[in-house]
Amino acid sequence: MKCAVDIESRDVEEMYINIDPIQAGGRLTADAMKAAISFGDGYSVCDNCRSPFRLDYIQKPPIAQFHADLAAWLNMDAVRVVPGARRGFQAVASTYVEKGDPVIVTALAHYTEFMAVEEAGGIPLEIPKDTANHITPDAAAEKIEAVIREFSKTPPLLFIDHVDYQFGNVHDVAGIIKVAHQYDIPVLVNGAYSVGIMPVDGKALGADFVVGSGHKSMAAPAPSGVLATTNEHAERVFRTTQAKGDVTGRTFGVKEVEMMGCTLMGVTVVGMMASFPHVRERVQHWETEVAHSQAVVDALLSIEGTKVLSDYPRQHTLTRIDTRESFDKVAQQHKKRGFFLSSDLKKRGITGVIPGSTRVWKFNTFGLMEKQIRHVGESFVGIARDNGLNIL
Amino acid sequence: MSKRAVDAVFQALFLLSDLRFLLRETAPEHDLDDMQRERAATTLAKVKRQITILEEELIR
Repeated sequence: MKCAVDIESRDVEEMYINIDPIQAGGRLTADAMKAAISFGDGYSVCDNCRSPFRLDYIQKPPIAQFHADLAAWLNMDAVRVVPGARRGFQAVASTYVEKGDPVIVTALAHYTEFMAVEEAGGIPLEIPKDTANHITPDAAAEKIEAVIREFSKTPPLLFIDHVDYQFGNVHDVAGIIKVAHQYDIPVLVNGAYSVGIMPVDGKALGADFVVGSGHKSMAAPAPSGVLATTNEHAERVFRTTQAKGDVTGRTFGVKEVEMMGCTLMGVTVVGMMASFPHVRERVQHWETEVAHSQAVVDALLSIEGTKVLSDYPRQHTLTRIDTRESFDKVAQQHKKRGFFLSSDLKKRGITGVIPGSTRVWKFNTFGLMEKQIRHVGESFVGIARDNGLNIL
Repeated sequence: MSKRAVDAVFQALFLLSDLRFLLRETAPEHDLDDMQRERAATTLAKVKRQITILEEELIR
């Protein structure tokens, strides 16, 4: 079925259980779907934009209130919605990083953190991960010391991923921030895999900035996200424009430089808003989500040769699994080669594993119903059994 | 101007979104339990009401 000329309708979520590692937390709620129907037009939230003309002041729909609610929920002082977490990284890096500045990231940092630093002219330098694939406060301290020795200056910013995208491990963000603050380094917490799916308290973490992704973890349309900060940093990162036209003498009032004026002006912000009550509620059930993740991981581990590369027991719904000694052995003999796994999963109504992957791959169980979790676990085991693998 | 027709279009689309969400929750088999079947029946009855309104307003 086509939804427009040459565009097939997308019915992946209706037809399959989707365990794609990056898509799980961004699936829309029913209310966000309704908001998308209502606010699909380009500047749809601007009908009632009145002076001062800025997105976060709009009262109808209640975008101003949404900003206040988001800040309170994250326990931060000020927030802005942004077109994806990466634009939050970009705004902060652009504000704090000067050309040639060393900036601390980590060996598990998302590539967009590197790009935000690069665009600002900084030099990204990684805190190494340990053998358990964790970024530790000790490693952060060692790296900061080494960078200060090498560059004879203190890094202006440190990025740390609350939950990394490679393993879905939860890192000691509070400990790392404590270390960074001993050197007066502000810290940006990348909450792309935490804000909106698990409880996040910015002040408890000690974060200077918390960045979340709407389309990754807040059940919102893409591109959307949130940049939250403290009163200490808000004035700087959310500074208003001082530009003035030399011919016209025009000035641009309260528009914020790093936000390029207004950010999410339609379906993205309203989608975030519509999902927000559900998001606020769902983070309270994080333990159930983790238990679901654990159940599927345990099913996979019952297949002889399978290893989990993420923390075990699981503390998150995103998991990296190693099936080189199980499904990949099947792939070597199978007529479909490595494509047998995604193909067999699809026959059982499951999608989201990259076609051809049978070695090291990731999946995410966030948001699935109990029955769907059972089906996923049983399907992995069933496929293994059908292909002659031993079940422990 | 038919505000009634416009409201009925939105209301029907919103109700169908609830059904869409139900299909997601029950994928891939869409084997609904008693409560889900009741939810579907109630929603469909409401959709039919909105369709009736649209017929009255637009093609009478």
